[in-house]
This record gives sequence, C-alpha cells and structure tokens, in this order.
Amino acid sequence: MYAVKNISKSYNELKVLDDITIEFEEFKTTAILGPSGCGKTTLLNIVSGLDQPDSGEVEGFLYEKISFVFQEDRLIPWRTVGDNIRFVLKGKMDKEKMEWTVNRYLEQVGLKEYINYYPKKLSGGMKQRIGMLRAFAYPSDMLLMDEPFRSLDIANKRASMDFLKELIACEMRTCILVTHDLDEAVELGDRIVILSDKPTKVKKVITNMYRVDGTEESRVKARKFLENEILSVRCEVKESQK
Amino acid sequence: MGGWVLLSLLVDNEVIVPGVGSTLSRLLVIVSGREFLNIVGYTFLRCIAGFLASLLIAVALGALSRWSAFLRELMEPVLSFLSSVPIMAIIILALIWLDSQLVPVFVGFVMVFPILYETVYSSIVNVDGDLIEMAHIFGVDRRTMARDIYLPAILAGISRVSSSTLGTSLKMVVAGEVLAQPEFAVGTRLMLEKTYLNTDGVFAWIIVILLMSWVLKLSMDRIKATWENKGWM
Repeated sequence: MYAVKNISKSYNELKVLDDITIEFEEFKTTAILGPSGCGKTTLLNIVSGLDQPDSGEVEGFLYEKISFVFQEDRLIPWRTVGDNIRFVLKGKMDKEKMEWTVNRYLEQVGLKEYINYYPKKLSGGMKQRIGMLRAFAYPSDMLLMDEPFRSLDIANKRASMDFLKELIACEMRTCILVTHDLDEAVELGDRIVILSDKPTKVKKVITNMYRVDGTEESRVKARKFLENEILSVRCEVKESQK
Repeated sequence: MGGWVLLSLLVDNEVIVPGVGSTLSRLLVIVSGREFLNIVGYTFLRCIAGFLASLLIAVALGALSRWSAFLRELMEPVLSFLSSVPIMAIIILALIWLDSQLVPVFVGFVMVFPILYETVYSSIVNVDGDLIEMAHIFGVDRRTMARDIYLPAILAGISRVSSSTLGTSLKMVVAGEVLAQPEFAVGTRLMLEKTYLNTDGVFAWIIVILLMSWVLKLSMDRIKATWENKGWM
C-alpha cells in the first residue's frame, strides 16, 4: 500500500499542506482534485522525493520505481522520439530489451512511424503523448501525473486523455493524477481525492462510479458532485478571506 | 569592387592603391608559386591548432567551472586580463617566451579562448532545468546526461560562435605571423610585400586571407550540418 500520512508543508509563513493523509490503492488511479495553486504539485513533489515535508510520512514509494508525466512534454529537442524513450531506459535494461520496449510501446499505441521524428516535427498533443509513453515504458510501479493536459487545446486534450486511458487500461500501474479539471478527474480517477484550499486539507475521498460501470449517468452524476464540492471549496476560501 | 576600381583610377598610384588588374596578376603569381600551398597550409594549421587548443581547454574549464565556484572565480581575472590587454602586448610577450612557429598559435589561442570558455560555461548553465529534473526523476546516470543533454548543449553553443571565432583565430594568427616571421606563413609574406612596397602583393595576400576565411566558414557549416544530422545538437 502506498500512502502519505499527516503531511504538512510550509514555505516561510505560508502553510501549503496541512495534515494530509491519503492512501493510494494499488493498480488504481487516484485523482487529486483541487483548485489551481492549492499545493497539489507540492504534494506530488513530496511523493516523488523532489521535496521534503516539514512533518508526516511517505510510505511505500520507492523513488527508483516512480515515473512521471509532467505538465509539459519535457522531451529532449535534439533527440528523436525513440531516443527520448531510450534516454530513460538506459542502464535499467540491456540493449535488446530496451529496443523491444521502445518498439512495443510505440506499436501498441500506433506511433511506431514516429520513432525517428524529432519533437519539433510533432504537434503539442503528440509530444505530450510521447511524454506519457516514456513514463509507461519506464519500468516503474508508480506513475505520477502532474496536470498532464494543462498545456493542450481542447481537441488535443481529448485525444491525449483517450490515449492515457488506453495505456492505463493495458498496464498494471498505480497512478496518481493531480488536476484542477473536473472532467480529467472523472474520466481517469478510480478514486477522487478532493482538496480544500488555504491551507490545503483533504476534504473528501470518493469512489468514482463512472470508472466502475462506465455509464453516462454515472459520469454526469460524478461530475455534478465534484462541481458542487469544488464550488463549496471556493466559497470557503472566499469566506476565510473576508 | 566598383569602389576599388574607381579609387585606383582616381589615385592613379600603384603603390598607394593598386589596380584590379595588377592585383589579380600578382595573385596569379602567388597562387602558382611553389611554396603557396606550404604557406597557406601552415597558416591554416596554426589557426586550427590555436582554435582546437582553445576549444579543448575551454570545454574542460567551462564544464568544471559549472560545478566549482572556486574555479569560476579563479577564471574571472584571467578572462578579464585576456579581454582587456591589447593584442600587440600579448604578441610581444609571446615573442619573448616562445619559438616563432608557436607565437601565432599562442596568439590565436589567447584571443579565442575567452569567447569559447564563456560560450561553453553559459551553454551548460542555460541547459533547460526541466530536462535535468526529468532526468533525475527517471534516475538517468551522469554519463548519459552528459552525452545526451550537456554535450549537445555545448555543441549548439559552440556552433553558434564557431564561424566568427575561427575567423578571429585566422586574423590573430596572421597578425602573430607578421611579427614572429615564421618561414611558411601568410603573415610573413604580407610583411615581405609591404617591405618591398609591393602594395598589389599586399592586396593579393589579403584576397588569399579572405578566401581562407571563406573556406573555414564553409568547413564549419559542413561540420555543423553533420552534428545536426547525427542528432548531436
């Protein structure tokens, strides 16, 4: 079991995270939903070991077994698509297995023809999908995603979201998705953790029925529920500022 | 070209401004001379030797300075000295210290080194921090990072200044040759033509220098294209 327990973090006088406790179910996607700037990325940085909490514990995460999908594609511009994936695999497997892995993942998602393309020749959405593929190709148990669709337009966002869903369905990975977007949380999160703001606390944790039965009714219901929750978070912030 | 023709007609004195015809015929004589290839070859060699020595030391010190604040601070006065001392003073010092064959190489090295060092250092410092963070998260080893991120960044930086620094290197090498007078050297011949007041010869050697500079630029463009094709930058 992966978990963060009683995590608190402050920057100078500003308390960013306040006593956050979340358990992450294995092989499921946990979406962490909260308003922009509420400290979601800080939480993800603590989980990935990039940042340290002031207090609390991070349990079960092995840093060498974590892969990451960033807000931006973070592809090396002077390396081809294939080389960008190989870059993170070097030293983790022999050359033969590395080639097999690169080809397998590109073939699986129908992007094999782009193996020798440089990132500058790809659209923003395509680059982000390669960034996702790189994270899945990396031999990890845990996948962290920090608002991976943030820099994309609506059409690219939809395509990339379907792409990610397909990868998640095919792979046995425990995923954490940080987002401020209700649709992303509903589409991808098996469990959804709603965060309150200033300071950030866990407000509610729900099981996303849409990911269980896949019906439109569940999707609408889940979205409506989250909409109300986020609205109440915003109202609480406004009240506290008065 | 038109200006040159007009000026030579107006001045009408071959010693002050030689005509195009006399310059070209002198150029023909120079180019067909038995020693021409040796002269041009040695000057090229000195230019490239000075440039490569600068490049190697600049890459080593630039990279080390990125991770050693002490070395970076140590380099500051050296760079400041090299950038502000007049080139003639450096050539005179080199004449005292070194063999006449080495003086032009040293002068080329000294003039190019500060530019290349700063280029290498800033290329490393300005590497995209997001890429470095990504590499750390994915546990990429230092060797792979150096080869796939830092080296291409350095090559890209060097490629931006390579044509101009090679041109500077050639100019400084010729200046060094003028004073050091090695046996086979464009600068030595330039000085010789001046001594005998063969201004058409001086003009002809200037044309040779311009052609050499053009060849260096073409070669550098070729090398840059190869680096790009190989995905090195």
